Amino acid sequence: MSALGDGSPLPLIGRPDDAVLFRTAAGPITAAQANTAAHHLAEALPERRYLLNLCRSRSGFALATLAAALRGQISIAPGDGPAERLRAIATRFADASSIADDPATPSPLAAHRCLPPWPQAALMPAASIPAAQVVAIVFTSGSTGEPLAYHKSWGELVWRSRAAATQFALSPAHPVAIVGTVPPAHMYGFETTVLLPLHAGASSWCGAAFYPDDLRRALAACPAPRVLVTTPLHLRSLLRHSLDLPPLARIVSATAPLDASIAAAAEARFGAPVEEIFGATELGSIASRRPTDTPLWRLYPGIRIGIADAPIVSRPGAEPCPLADAIEMQDAEHFRLLGRGGDVIKLAGRRASLAGLNRILNEIEGVEDGVFLAPTESMAESMIDDAAQPVARMQALFVAPAHSPSEILAALRGRIDPVFLPRRLVRVAALPRDALGKLPRQALLALLDDG
Amino acid sequence: MDAMNVYQPDEPRATPSAHFERELAELLVSVLQLEVAAADIQPEAALFHEGLGLDSIDALEIALAVSRRYGVELKSDDEQNGRIFASLRSLAGHIERHRTQ
Repeated sequence: MSALGDGSPLPLIGRPDDAVLFRTAAGPITAAQANTAAHHLAEALPERRYLLNLCRSRSGFALATLAAALRGQISIAPGDGPAERLRAIATRFADASSIADDPATPSPLAAHRCLPPWPQAALMPAASIPAAQVVAIVFTSGSTGEPLAYHKSWGELVWRSRAAATQFALSPAHPVAIVGTVPPAHMYGFETTVLLPLHAGASSWCGAAFYPDDLRRALAACPAPRVLVTTPLHLRSLLRHSLDLPPLARIVSATAPLDASIAAAAEARFGAPVEEIFGATELGSIASRRPTDTPLWRLYPGIRIGIADAPIVSRPGAEPCPLADAIEMQDAEHFRLLGRGGDVIKLAGRRASLAGLNRILNEIEGVEDGVFLAPTESMAESMIDDAAQPVARMQALFVAPAHSPSEILAALRGRIDPVFLPRRLVRVAALPRDALGKLPRQALLALLDDG
Repeated sequence: MDAMNVYQPDEPRATPSAHFERELAELLVSVLQLEVAAADIQPEAALFHEGLGLDSIDALEIALAVSRRYGVELKSDDEQNGRIFASLRSLAGHIERHRTQ
């Protein structure tokens, strides 16, 4: 079988007819109902190449994805963002109609429709989709510049869901109830809260899940075993809040490095293991670990990493893809992360990890938040060869009401290699973290321009 | 949903006291580490996006601070959620109506 699979069909929904996939305010949605709805919607879609998926609820997002796949169309998941970004995506993928689950959602397209109400389950054939068929396009969150589009085949998505089920020992006989705080259009949220229910022993909560009290009520509305799928940001917020949550079987975190101390505090407070997922938009989830247990990441079944000049990730259903992070393999299934997100910076022949520099900046007393910006537009460039490039320098932004830039610079001196000292150091009120706690590079550059 | 946290849109709504608005403005400036002075936050100006420019991370911080200080839990699916967060005045009004401490 080639990397892209042999084109053999994989089920649209790999769950029994009566399995609950999604829990909505109006009641549970079963596999049979989802199958029926997907067939109806697929027939009703206008003849286009793409379907701009503007649905915000997980069930609506899933239904649009399934209907597009059935119809041979590609679901485009732009996610939340400025209107200009959505317009740019709509212009780029022009042969499209759009769909939303909320009548108030604006669309840049004339061919726009709202999801109909969920139908009753009817007798429909169990459908399948060729493994090699591209079914979705997702975008990077933009922390390395402009949004990039990544194509996902049905095979990649289904096989990865099955791999995740093995990795986390999800049993079809005892399905977990997932409450996720991550948007369905984000790759991590897409995999865990939209795709897992379709192909593994899990259901997904589709109501509000943002504020701590939302999470308390959502979890209370779900049967045990409950799994909270979230981010370090929400976890910190929950830990500082005095609310008690219903018993959890597991907490899953991704999108940003999870401090081991936060993981330990969450395990103590909520009485459940905290697992961290390693992934990227272009790769999807490829490894996990329990930070209180080990610093080593364990690859999902079927994922292999070969290291030549850079690590290359092989995974079923997709072409091999380079890994932007610096890692060290311990054995075929485990690796140690040396630096995250195109983290390795080379300047004047020296190497530093961006995460390491950020840690040092944040460890300075009085610094509440801070970030370094690598000089190149593409982080990957700094990993290739610096010989032909001018020696650009680091810049940094920090939040420290009581300290001036010169004081911070003085504190950094001696702690880091002088070539990595920021040439430009700007104090700001807050860093422009997005909904996932990430720092879009464009927003940081804009702040530097203003400073 | 807790009946305490639901109000009818046509319910007569007293404007929150200027004193309470200022107190809440000071709380926001403090927990969000805003560079503006509390007195400079316009009661009717938008808190999010174009106004003060707050984002969803700030929303989590506000929810935490409001829960601790006033015992009011903010919720996403509150019918009025968009209106509650519209401005300092609307947020102050919501908290004044529901505060337990």
